Amino acid sequence: MIVGVSFIAACASTNPPTQQLTETRMVIERAEQDGAQEYAPLELRDAGIKLQQAREAVDAENYKKAIRLLEHARVDAELAQVKAVSAKSQEAAAELKESIRILKEELERKNK
Amino acid sequence: MKSIMLRNNRLTMYTMLPLLILMIGCAGPPANNPLLNNARDNYKAAYNDEKIVRLAPVELKEAEEALAKSTKLWESKADKTQVNHYAYLAEKKTMIARETALMKAAEQEISDGETERQQVMLDVRRADAQRSEQRANSALEDAQRERLAASEAREGAETARLSAEESRLKSEELAKKVRELEARPTDRGLVLTLGDVLFDFGQATLKTGSMQSTDQLAKFLKEYPERNILIEGFTDSIGSEAFNQSLSAQRAENVKNALMSKGIQSDRIRTFGYGTQHPVASNATEEGRRQNRRVEVVISDQDGVIKARTGPN
Repeated sequence: MIVGVSFIAACASTNPPTQQLTETRMVIERAEQDGAQEYAPLELRDAGIKLQQAREAVDAENYKKAIRLLEHARVDAELAQVKAVSAKSQEAAAELKESIRILKEELERKNK
Repeated sequence: MKSIMLRNNRLTMYTMLPLLILMIGCAGPPANNPLLNNARDNYKAAYNDEKIVRLAPVELKEAEEALAKSTKLWESKADKTQVNHYAYLAEKKTMIARETALMKAAEQEISDGETERQQVMLDVRRADAQRSEQRANSALEDAQRERLAASEAREGAETARLSAEESRLKSEELAKKVRELEARPTDRGLVLTLGDVLFDFGQATLKTGSMQSTDQLAKFLKEYPERNILIEGFTDSIGSEAFNQSLSAQRAENVKNALMSKGIQSDRIRTFGYGTQHPVASNATEEGRRQNRRVEVVISDQDGVIKARTGPN
């Protein structure tokens, strides 16, 4: 859907992509909130740079380029976000596994 | 490549396209696009990963759509920037699909793990409960054992008390019996005097009336089998010394016979005739002489021992 919409938007690039700018900025913020700064700093940095470049393109009224950059920035931010959440989930799963292992050891000791 | 085509029709579209393009390429192929090729390879790898297909179908679909756009643009020899743009999106969306699958798997692991952890914690608590129950049971057993021991000790004390009580009663009873026999305690032990009323003058035979006295004595000896007796005969001073000696011995002997006929063993009874010795009263009066004609029964201590007579009684 988003790809489709942006595709249409890309075709009709007579207006500045204000909505997309806002959306992309929000996606980046969400990624930051989810810990992307720690878990996916490169992707987050790419997204930020591309968002900035998109703003510059908007200023230069090069809307086509701006939209392309925003789409890149958005997918970078989405990747950064999912990487952060995934890493945290995997850490939590590993911790849980460890706690279960310790509990099982304790149980074994108690059943002796 | 072939196995991938066989596996899925949808994939065939993407794998066939480059082949078609390659064929067309003979008539003038578009320049090779490494970004697109790379995106396609990565997409295929993700598509062949069962876990990604199952856990991140939407993300994978978006990657596929971007890849299709890129491919289509490339086929139509569109602007390279456009081809690269969608190839980039396809590449990143494939990575998102891969990461999403990892995230979902971890979430599933957390969910399963939470269930398992609760189960294990339950088991731990159960083990704790079991252990404390065992501890409580063994404590209970200890307590019961101690109670039993205390109760046994109490019973032991009670038994001791009863036995003390019994021996006290026994000695009281003995004292009572002795009183019944009209025995008197002396330094030789209990001494019972059977008066001359038991015998006719100058005779050794027991009178029938004396049977009650010997009955009581026999009964006493049966109840106190540890005690022996010494039967001593005495006379007054009338008559010859020899006669009196013989008479006194005969009288004691007859008392012994009476007791034996009532079931008392002969070895518990000794006899001795003292004749005129050891008078208890003056032989000058009839009353005194009557007192001197007697048989004394000395009852032993509980070890069966009778002290020897010393000096005049």
